Amino acid sequence: MAGTWGNHEGSLLLFILIVSLYGTLFSFFYKNNTKFKSWVIFFQNNIYLIFLIFLIVKSNPFDLIIPTPREGLGLNPILQDPLLIIHPPFLYLGYVGFSLTLSLVLAALVTKQLNSAWAKISWPWVMVSWVFLTIGISLGSIWAYYELGWGGYWFWDPVENASLMPWLAGTALIHSLLVLKIKNEMRNWTALLAILTFSLSLLGTFLVRSGILNSVHAFANDPDRGIFILLIIFFITTTALVIQISFSSYFKDKKIYFFSKESFLSINNFFLLFFLFVILLGTIYPIFLAAFGETISIGPDYYNNILAPFVFIFLIAMSIGPILKWSQNIRLNELYFVFIIFLMSLLISYLVIIFTQRNELILFLGLASSLILIITMMFELYKNKYKIKIINYPRFCSHLGVGVLLLSIFLNSYFSKTKDFEIQIGQTKNFYNLSLNLINQNIYKIENYLEMKTDFEILDGKNVFTLKPSIRRYFQPDQITSETSIKSTLLSNHYLVINLPDLNSTIIGARYYYNFLIHGIWFGLFLIIIGGTLSVFKKRN
Amino acid sequence: MNNNTKQRLYFFLVTVVTILVIGKFVYESLKKNSVYFFSPTDLKNIIEIPNGLIRVGGMIKEKSLKKNGNKYSFIVTDFRNEIIVNYTGIKPNLFVEGQGAVIEGILNTRNNLLASKILAKHDENYMPKEVADALKKSGDWKKNYGK
Repeated sequence: MAGTWGNHEGSLLLFILIVSLYGTLFSFFYKNNTKFKSWVIFFQNNIYLIFLIFLIVKSNPFDLIIPTPREGLGLNPILQDPLLIIHPPFLYLGYVGFSLTLSLVLAALVTKQLNSAWAKISWPWVMVSWVFLTIGISLGSIWAYYELGWGGYWFWDPVENASLMPWLAGTALIHSLLVLKIKNEMRNWTALLAILTFSLSLLGTFLVRSGILNSVHAFANDPDRGIFILLIIFFITTTALVIQISFSSYFKDKKIYFFSKESFLSINNFFLLFFLFVILLGTIYPIFLAAFGETISIGPDYYNNILAPFVFIFLIAMSIGPILKWSQNIRLNELYFVFIIFLMSLLISYLVIIFTQRNELILFLGLASSLILIITMMFELYKNKYKIKIINYPRFCSHLGVGVLLLSIFLNSYFSKTKDFEIQIGQTKNFYNLSLNLINQNIYKIENYLEMKTDFEILDGKNVFTLKPSIRRYFQPDQITSETSIKSTLLSNHYLVINLPDLNSTIIGARYYYNFLIHGIWFGLFLIIIGGTLSVFKKRN
Repeated sequence: MNNNTKQRLYFFLVTVVTILVIGKFVYESLKKNSVYFFSPTDLKNIIEIPNGLIRVGGMIKEKSLKKNGNKYSFIVTDFRNEIIVNYTGIKPNLFVEGQGAVIEGILNTRNNLLASKILAKHDENYMPKEVADALKKSGDWKKNYGK
């Protein structure tokens, strides 16, 4: 199954299938037969056509292989995983969903209907794509954690960045669409973001498929096609921008209220686009330098160092923003509970720092800012009970999710540990209050690979459990993969991988990861997805 | 100048200053975290030895791998020049003599690298792009590599 989208032609076929799927679904669900509808279908079909031409000219999926090989080529074994069967379709449903967003925006521009009524029609479509993209990225992250055996969930790999960029743009788009929907403002900005989001989705496709990247994901590539995709991106983006400029509406002079919902939503947009810009720069800069014959790579510290301080401010703005009111400044005494929350969060973070003796500023600020968000959300729940105001559950879930996600990320990055060791059967290793004992080691022949299975008995305080990491050698293609073994406890994961022993040696190299609060990351992502899904189905007046 | 125009002007100025400051900050960080890539030949010819983290790519020379506990030493070659690499840790599965690899680390001397990370290839055909380019440059690129 995954073989279909593991290669270039298949993935493009999937891409085109989804473009037409969105077009069909839209014409099915949107009953009003207006000029607007026909324009949407028109633009959607044009996108479809462009890619169809590309498919036929450059990469026909139904090329016959002559002579017929006796055995299939064999898919890269790390891709032979059930998660991988559903990861690309979700990602593509997200990426490509933004093609419909683009068509909707262009149609609205042409028919001069870019207003709050339009935003209400478009909302579920944008949200659907966004939710799919979020699920796709999460699945990819989970897959990387379980399958790659590197102990982490995010590596700032160019291809991961390529999926994060449209996500950030899409998130910004959702928030500006909200302003358009409720206040009928930020029209041009919303249109611009829609164009940006789809262009970045295409750029993502380009980066993955062109082979200019050196990454785990660059599975199927061909520079020639890369140029073609680049041309398509250029063409679609330029056309969209030209349409936007020629049809865009007037500019309204307006008073700005700093402490209002709109201004905080703009702040949200600025920050998201700033994150996007930083990631884009980190991803593109090496490619750019490569053109001048210098080869570099950007370390993960670049992203972590630059993004961290802004994430703090972003989180705080995210806590305050939703409490504010549309088009008016809020009175300071209405914000009294925010100050209480600030103090509470600072105190809790300070206690954590003292208790764990990890005297680090970034950790402190990260803890404090994500706690501010989480506690504000909780407080809102409590406060709403008394005011009998309806809670906005989609926002509640997704914002809480972001809080939990970032809190877990900060804690995970500071409290995780890793240890390399070598061990022989019968031996015991002691570190981090753990005792690891290798009790078994066997080799099995299974279908298309040989597998060496090991049993480790681990003593953690009073708990005893077994981890069974193994290593596989595939023959078609000839490749070695490590299968991780993970034991979940309440707050952490014990994560163990082994390596192929050297020839004529019984010594096994192993790496142990203590991953703190990794569940929190998955749970945060889950909440964000739930929030997004709720918002697709939410009826708004 | 009415109040609104003034507000816009301030807003504009603040934005420009912020962008400039942040831009500078981002640029510095980008430069600091750039890891440059060298082939063994590049390192031989280079005038000033880089003192930060670098990457070196090439082929692992056959029969050069020596192991002592979890300490490894081996030679990376682009078939013109060689560099001795010392590494402590777990050897990646895909790290095999006679295959390509990219090594990240700090130069001890001109021809000795203290490695902190080994980035090995992903499958039997794959060759890191940097290695392929380095081999092409040294003229030892074989057609069947990287197919």
